[in-house]
Amino acid sequence: MDEYETLKWGEVMSDHLQYLEEKRKIDSYFEKGYQIVSIFENLSGTFVDFVTSNDSGEREIVQLQLLTAESRKYIASKLIIN
Amino acid sequence: MADLRISFAGIKSPNPFWLASAPPTNSGYQVQRAFEAGWGGAVWKTLGEPIINTTSRFAALSFNGQRVAGFNNIELITDRPLEVNLKEIYETKKRFPNHAIIASLMVEPKQEKWHEIVKRVEDVGVDGLELNFGCPHGMAERGMGAASGQVPELVEKQTYWVKEVAKTPVIVKLTPNITDITITAEAAVQGGADAISMINTINSLMGVDLDTWNTIPHVAGKGAHGGYCGPAVKPIALNMVGECARNPLIDVPISGIGGISNWQDAVEFILMGATGVQVCTAAMHHGFSIVEDMLDGLNNYLDSKGIASIMDIVGKAVPKYSDWGDLDLNYKVVARINNDVCINCNKCHISCEDTSHQCIDMLKNENGEPYLKVREEDCVGCNLCAIVCPVEGAINMVELKQPLPKMTWNERQSNIARFKIDKVAK
Repeated sequence: MDEYETLKWGEVMSDHLQYLEEKRKIDSYFEKGYQIVSIFENLSGTFVDFVTSNDSGEREIVQLQLLTAESRKYIASKLIIN
Repeated sequence: MADLRISFAGIKSPNPFWLASAPPTNSGYQVQRAFEAGWGGAVWKTLGEPIINTTSRFAALSFNGQRVAGFNNIELITDRPLEVNLKEIYETKKRFPNHAIIASLMVEPKQEKWHEIVKRVEDVGVDGLELNFGCPHGMAERGMGAASGQVPELVEKQTYWVKEVAKTPVIVKLTPNITDITITAEAAVQGGADAISMINTINSLMGVDLDTWNTIPHVAGKGAHGGYCGPAVKPIALNMVGECARNPLIDVPISGIGGISNWQDAVEFILMGATGVQVCTAAMHHGFSIVEDMLDGLNNYLDSKGIASIMDIVGKAVPKYSDWGDLDLNYKVVARINNDVCINCNKCHISCEDTSHQCIDMLKNENGEPYLKVREEDCVGCNLCAIVCPVEGAINMVELKQPLPKMTWNERQSNIARFKIDKVAK
């Protein structure tokens, strides 16, 4: 909640815009060749760990926290598509 | 002209509309008049040791001008000796041999009691028996009715006792005053039931008088819970019928009961797995003649769909009734407002803004005239705006085709399971 305290009413990002941002990040990681290595879910949402290997073979792991329901659907749908 | 005849667990009836065991089927006079009006069958008011009733007995809920939206009663089973009822059943069956007469029965949970009443009732030529394991008031305090029907072992055992001697089909009438009606339905099947019927009435207290503080109804200043029925209970009954119909362990016909007031209600129950329906409150509200509209409406409906027989639609909607986990998460509908029809009452905006997802904007056009518009990207398709809208056709729920494949919750969990690890929140 802290991050919203400085915002005025009406300035909080809509669920839809937040989803679009999360979707953009998901798509971006896939486009860059990242693969999902783990997913865990808890009270704070869904956490997706993406991994990729750089030219020297070192693994790079990034974690994405999905806050919106649409994103939680989207990430699982991508698993079906892929 | 469609064929409206049904065969319910072997019981033949000229149409699927039966009167339920209740005040409308208290006597031969009433049942014969009902058959003359067009009812296909009647479940005689429950036979057992004659009881003593109170006055008053009934109360009703009127809601926004609709009389008898819900109905409550504290009346018990028949107050007439068995011989009197049997004589009238015999005479009625003799006069209406092609109509279905079912005897509703309730005795103490003792084998010899069930054997005695079954033999005596079948001797007068009933077409079937309905075991009343559902009456929630009065008799339940004496260990019968719902008190029996809430204990699966008692349902099974008593059904078994009846089947030991019964020569006609045995229908077990179930109480809705239980967490999961499929448990007692399965018990009835285990006991050998040929069919089940549901629902009996729901425990209820209709109200409290604000001046006298008496319950409604009251008997000399005291009240007791009654059984609730009528249009208000239809969704509860329909769900219970559907849950039983889709349960593979409950492989017997179902007689649907609960708030059925017109042919449309009846079709819904039949589509959801009932082979026939029983009606009480609507007949008590409007009289036996309502069956005329039910017959006409059902016949016209079947003809309009080119369906030859009512039996052809039994259970056709059951495959569509599933678990939440099997619903497609990627199916999406949104609200769309038809501004040519909308009267700008703003009820949709208020309901969405206050209690849903804040996606209906109040805007003004170039002439300064107000209009409402849904931000479809934020709409979750909950239906609330269309539900509260007072104008037919002003808000339509439309499907938005999605680029994502069908995916249920169960499929989602299965898909992500291979990546899932156990971690606590960071």
